[in-house]
Amino acid sequence: LVPTRVPVLADHPLVQGPRFRRLKIGAGHRLDVKASGVFVLGIGHGNKLLTDLYNCHLTKVYTVGGLFGKATDDFSDTGKLIEKTTFDHITREKLERILAVIQGTNHKALLMYSNIDMKTQEAYELAVKGLIRPMDKSPPIITAIRCLQFALPEFQLEIHCLHETQQYLRKVVHEIGLELKSSAVCTHVRRTRDGVFTLDDALPRTQWDLRSIQDAIRNCQLKVETEIEKTLGHRDNSPVHQLDVQTAESAE
Amino acid sequence: SFVKPDAGWKKPRRIQPTPYRLETEEKISSAACGYGFTLLASNTTDITKVWGTGLNKDSQLGFQRSRRDQTKGYDYVLEPSPIPLPLEKPQQTRVLQVSCGRAHSLVLTDSEGVFTMGNNSYGQCGRKVIEDEIYSESYLIHQLKEFDSRVVQVACGQDHSLFRTKKGSVYACGWGADGQTGLGHYNITSVPTKLHGDIAGVNIIQVSSYGDCCLAVSDEGDVFGWGNSEYLQLASVTETTQVNVPRHLPFKIGKIKEAACGGTGNAVLTEEGNIFVWGYGILGKGPNLTETAVPEMIPPSLFGWSDFNSDIFVAHIRCGLGQFAALTNRGELFVWGKNLRGCLGTGRMEDQYFPWRVTVPGEVVDVACGVDHMVSLVKSF
Repeated sequence: LVPTRVPVLADHPLVQGPRFRRLKIGAGHRLDVKASGVFVLGIGHGNKLLTDLYNCHLTKVYTVGGLFGKATDDFSDTGKLIEKTTFDHITREKLERILAVIQGTNHKALLMYSNIDMKTQEAYELAVKGLIRPMDKSPPIITAIRCLQFALPEFQLEIHCLHETQQYLRKVVHEIGLELKSSAVCTHVRRTRDGVFTLDDALPRTQWDLRSIQDAIRNCQLKVETEIEKTLGHRDNSPVHQLDVQTAESAE
Repeated sequence: SFVKPDAGWKKPRRIQPTPYRLETEEKISSAACGYGFTLLASNTTDITKVWGTGLNKDSQLGFQRSRRDQTKGYDYVLEPSPIPLPLEKPQQTRVLQVSCGRAHSLVLTDSEGVFTMGNNSYGQCGRKVIEDEIYSESYLIHQLKEFDSRVVQVACGQDHSLFRTKKGSVYACGWGADGQTGLGHYNITSVPTKLHGDIAGVNIIQVSSYGDCCLAVSDEGDVFGWGNSEYLQLASVTETTQVNVPRHLPFKIGKIKEAACGGTGNAVLTEEGNIFVWGYGILGKGPNLTETAVPEMIPPSLFGWSDFNSDIFVAHIRCGLGQFAALTNRGELFVWGKNLRGCLGTGRMEDQYFPWRVTVPGEVVDVACGVDHMVSLVKSF
């Protein structure tokens, strides 16, 4: 006796109907209309992982493009023009100096909002590893900022930040322009990394179909789990751990 | 000034916990902090080259004529006041560096040697000790010229003075009970005498001292130490608590560029830009490390180094009595140590156990640390 499978009409997709009738989709960190880049979504049971990822407070990386010489009311190049200035005196060196100052003040804010007692050995060890981060609500903090390209009047910056909004980044560009005794507007904001999700993991518009989504979820699962383990695992052990195991199984 | 503020709405303060801008008439090129007083010097060719403020009970700021009584002088100077120096060519000589000790100060000029003023009860001013000399309201400023070559750096310890000449030799005078003069005996020296020991024949490029211990760096990157070793500063070569002859400190941490000697702890800066600390007190590696005889490195990530910013390194290191200050190549100032009366400039009154960035509105070019105050020279953006 050999078991064989015979095609049955009941298995046909047109008889069964669509696989997914309703999907619960939740969004990760906000990305506004004028910006582009990585946008994390959670499907179904993955929404619980979304809250855990939010509590991890991981940094996001943006590529911000700016233009010297103009100042508008909403700090981007599509807004109402307020003033025009000269910018020939600006050099890459001056820009880098301003960026160093921004980094320094934000570094201090980082240590202050992380609410750790500076006198403990634990605080020293976390500071060495660079793991001191504000684990609660805090104003936007820039952990690192660097100039990628500089060709007057345009320039491009790479910004690593926490708890920010894209409008805040545009405001930072405007303030850099003011510090350099000129003015600047932001031309584009592109998120290149959101916690553990990079541009390589992200799906472009052409790949928004079931197969690629399933593959993408499977690829990222391990990374997300390890990150949550690392950051939240040592804080409150049992409930989060069990939840992770459940979500991993149900996501499959 | 603080006791008499410059604007009507500012109230006099006892403690200044964050950096405060001091307006000066000339561009200041060198600053030094002593035990309760500060000296600021500029390398101009005008007649006033040095200003001083603070304690003047031993005339460490020269004779400050009192405005109320022309015959008497001030014992406390409340704002930077010019110090008259007896120069032969006041319109040509430039002041290169100033240095302050507990109650004496040294002014280094480019062509007229070293001028010393202040307390001389241990011969630290380089002149003969006069019994029962009254140091306050004294006009005496001594000039030192007899060295084997031009003096290029001066450093003051608590009650002794060190001079480094162009040929690379070191001279010392002053109190020697802890062996800090390095001349082989524990008596006081009132005339600058050349040091021998492990330094003889070595070209020294930097000397540093603030308390009773001294460090010298040679051009090959070796560090030599002498003086007090009660806090394990020289425990790597000897068990005794006082060393009166310069000894080579065999540390295998790489070529050393700069050394800084504090009251109880020492720090060195290597060629790669790393800081190594040893001694006793708050050394900068957390509250658990209070004393060590072997230099320990401070992780560069505390100064802003990361995989993202890998070209940040420390350019200079300075020591006060219980604090350390480090300047990075980006012009940032990091401080750590005992925060006596808010001297670290962090804005808090607690001690700082690991390097912490001080917010200064400009690029920090140089910093001088004292017992309970610090002065930094800043270039604006």
